[in-house]
Amino acid sequence: MKRFVKENALGLTFGLLFLVVLVGQAFAGLADYNQQQLAEGLQPIGFARYVTSASFGADVAENWQSEYLQFFLFIFLTVWLVQKGSPESKQLDKVGRESDKDQKVGPYAQEDSPKWAHASGFKLFLFSNSLGLVMGAIFVVSWVAQFIAGRAAFNEEQLGNLEDPMSPVQYLMAPDFWNRTLQNWQSELLAVASMAILAIYLRQRGSSQSKPVGSPHTATGDEN
Amino acid sequence: MLKRVIPALLLLGLAGCGSVGERGDAAAGVALQLLTAVDSKDGAAACATLAPETLEEIESSAGQPCDQAILDEDLPAPGQVTGTDVYGQWAQVRLTDDTLFLAVFPGGWRVVAAGCAPRGEKPYNCAIQGG
Repeated sequence: MKRFVKENALGLTFGLLFLVVLVGQAFAGLADYNQQQLAEGLQPIGFARYVTSASFGADVAENWQSEYLQFFLFIFLTVWLVQKGSPESKQLDKVGRESDKDQKVGPYAQEDSPKWAHASGFKLFLFSNSLGLVMGAIFVVSWVAQFIAGRAAFNEEQLGNLEDPMSPVQYLMAPDFWNRTLQNWQSELLAVASMAILAIYLRQRGSSQSKPVGSPHTATGDEN
Repeated sequence: MLKRVIPALLLLGLAGCGSVGERGDAAAGVALQLLTAVDSKDGAAACATLAPETLEEIESSAGQPCDQAILDEDLPAPGQVTGTDVYGQWAQVRLTDDTLFLAVFPGGWRVVAAGCAPRGEKPYNCAIQGG
């Protein structure tokens, strides 16, 4: 058990922190929602009602979609794009999907390679792109969820302002949808660009996300 | 009067919960109750359907109790329900001659605004509204 925790500390810690912070967000969001309800002379709602509301759903989904978009883009674009001196990049001469030998697939698969690395055709294609595809799929699902919940939350505000609700087509063009979307996208893109570039010149001793402290600024990817 | 108000309140108590379709029907029921009560000059039953701030607003602007003041408001006769939309704690009920906005309160749906006419991009202009 102790060994399991130690060997999986990264996933377990972030998973636990995620749950704690999500619960924190739910309580803070509920307080914010009820503050607005009271200001409008309406009734505050309970915790169960809030966590199943469109308002909470939209707030959660809009952040999820942008995080998964970030990972999806980072995973796919780093196949073809490199950054000299960055540990986030692969080596400059490895641009592209690389050879089967480099990727240890098909006839080059090793004994301990995953089963699908030995396969060929569609099965191999699917496994070879599974990380990006799953991240991309979660992004699409989260973005659709943001759209559905965001529209419902927006329409609740519209009715509260004695205005008509918007149809799905109207909401697709609405500033609210794109403002929620783009404000998250820009921050994720900035974070990736900063990480790729700052890690050229800065170090974090012992971190898997940093080059060794003594590595030269020009060392790219795993050539450290 | 209590004979009419108590069943009305019991019905209202059931409103505000359930699926979107049921919630829309419940909101439409309360909206029609208001206009039917005003149409039949039953001020008390009409006021029982109002949100607290809407009721206060009617009384303070008219300077008389709600059950009298509501009958002087410019509200149309109850028509056919042409559509309802429910989002979270709010509902819009569209009738042939009126649009009403309702919100959820402990007793169920209550009318926040009625006698509403659209004004393009601006909020509806309503004969009665709270706040």
